[in-house]
Amino acid sequence: MAKILVIADIKQGVLKGSTAELLSKAKAIGAETAVVAVGSNIESLTPDLANAGSDTQYIADDPSLELFSAGPYASCVVDAAKQFGANLIWFGFSESGKAVAPRVAAQLDVACATEITDVELSGDQIEVIRPAIANKVMQRVKVNTDQLVAVVRAGAFEATEGITGTENVVKLSPPAPDLKAVIKELISDAIGEIDLVDADVVISVGRGVKDQAGVDLVKELANDLKAGFGSSRAMVDGGFMAHNKQVGQTGKIVAPSLYMAIGISGAIQHLAGMTGSKVILAVNKDTEAPIFNVADYGIVGDLFEVVPILREEIKKIRD
Amino acid sequence: MKILTTVKKVVDVELTMHVEDGAIVEDGLQYVINAWDESAVEASVQLKENNGAETTLVSIGGGDNTDMIRRCYAMGIENGINIDDPALAKADSSIFAKVLQKVYEKGDYDLVITGKQAQDTDSGQTGIILAEYLGVPCVSNVIAIEVMDDQHIKVSRVGDAGTEIVELELPAVVTVDVSINEPRLPQMRGIMMAKKKAIDVMDLAALGTSNDEVEGAIPKSEIVEFMVSKTRKAGQKFEGDAAEITAKVVDLLANEAKIL
Repeated sequence: MAKILVIADIKQGVLKGSTAELLSKAKAIGAETAVVAVGSNIESLTPDLANAGSDTQYIADDPSLELFSAGPYASCVVDAAKQFGANLIWFGFSESGKAVAPRVAAQLDVACATEITDVELSGDQIEVIRPAIANKVMQRVKVNTDQLVAVVRAGAFEATEGITGTENVVKLSPPAPDLKAVIKELISDAIGEIDLVDADVVISVGRGVKDQAGVDLVKELANDLKAGFGSSRAMVDGGFMAHNKQVGQTGKIVAPSLYMAIGISGAIQHLAGMTGSKVILAVNKDTEAPIFNVADYGIVGDLFEVVPILREEIKKIRD
Repeated sequence: MKILTTVKKVVDVELTMHVEDGAIVEDGLQYVINAWDESAVEASVQLKENNGAETTLVSIGGGDNTDMIRRCYAMGIENGINIDDPALAKADSSIFAKVLQKVYEKGDYDLVITGKQAQDTDSGQTGIILAEYLGVPCVSNVIAIEVMDDQHIKVSRVGDAGTEIVELELPAVVTVDVSINEPRLPQMRGIMMAKKKAIDVMDLAALGTSNDEVEGAIPKSEIVEFMVSKTRKAGQKFEGDAAEITAKVVDLLANEAKIL
């Protein structure tokens, strides 16, 4: 039986949805499941980790792990993988996952695959499916090692209702700090901010919103809907949106139930980050904008006029 | 400071891809420098200009990389190495990292700058694995590099919870995001000078290694098939009175898509 170790995705003390999604997939395959959680003051998350579908919880809880550092993080994952005897080591889609997965693979001397959307096991043979070339093609990748470290693409697996696990905590000893790469400061997102990758609704702004006033206008709609608030590259480069809010090939990959692209023309690099969304709504004044080629619903119009009406109409429906 | 930058020639992602019999149809494809690597080149040249550095680039595989390397020369890179060997046809990230390790060991570099991913594979592994093989510190997804002194740099990294500021002891590997800079366009003078510069072309033997040593015979993973991606179809598009069409779309979101 396959043994799958899932890396718990924890942000600002909260367990993110990807952990249950990956564990659900692991259980569906019939694998034995474990989770590894790395951080500071996270022991209280143990019931959540079990409820997400893990039968063993490897926990590295130490003040030194409060700020992300890829080296010590990788040491914890390698430690858990060895203790558990994992064949598959899965990270959810995150910047830390992307930074740590190749390190873990190199240390275990096994294959690494990022952005996987599916996995096929037959006997000891592992194959994965993943997109490439900005989502224009899919690849089937054969793994030639007994183990695989993978980063799973956002939205690839779904959490199963009513999945359960059992509490069986194994404490990991804190890893040595990385003295050659020292994190000095974290310029942090606001506490309680809705996470882009986890959000059920994501609203992103593009060049069409023009300036801070335009960003603020759309932000009000995002607040109404408790939506994640993202951006195309143009508004990040323009200094209006933070780098970690960029949706696309180089930034976050999102797959919410509803994605609203406001004033975004739809460059291929942006599309690569959001076409996995269930429903896409685009607002753009240019009827030829490529975003309309992927949108389920398109409003051709001036966003400064449309967005306030959108807010009002949605409020009406919700009341 | 000696800087090594990696560059890869990749397919132009703006083009339409056709897949036949599990392979991408090569006809009509065009190749460009990987956008992330172009930013790595620009970052190296800026460090040379602002802090003084010797800049070298290396490209592995992909056949004739002359035009791409000359373009990087025209941007300001001083030395170019092209590793070309038929044994690397099936190379995965680990093998590329092993080859880069050999290049690194020959050159006594202080800093390696790579693009954080290549736009053809979107894997994002090679630079990080290289750092593991070298046993040097590494920060990925970097959007700013500042030289502190001969032995230290300070970088900004886009992380999950915000921007992380990290101090690195050299030698080190950093992988950069495209937003670190706006790569310069080569100027005519640079282009003319680049034509005269030599490129150090070598195979694995000339590099002092072999297919066995880089584990090229059996890569850890290999692409066995390409498939067509599912594409979305354009849905309903509304034009006209803003109030009317917006109300209509909200109604559809609620009652057709059942999403609100």
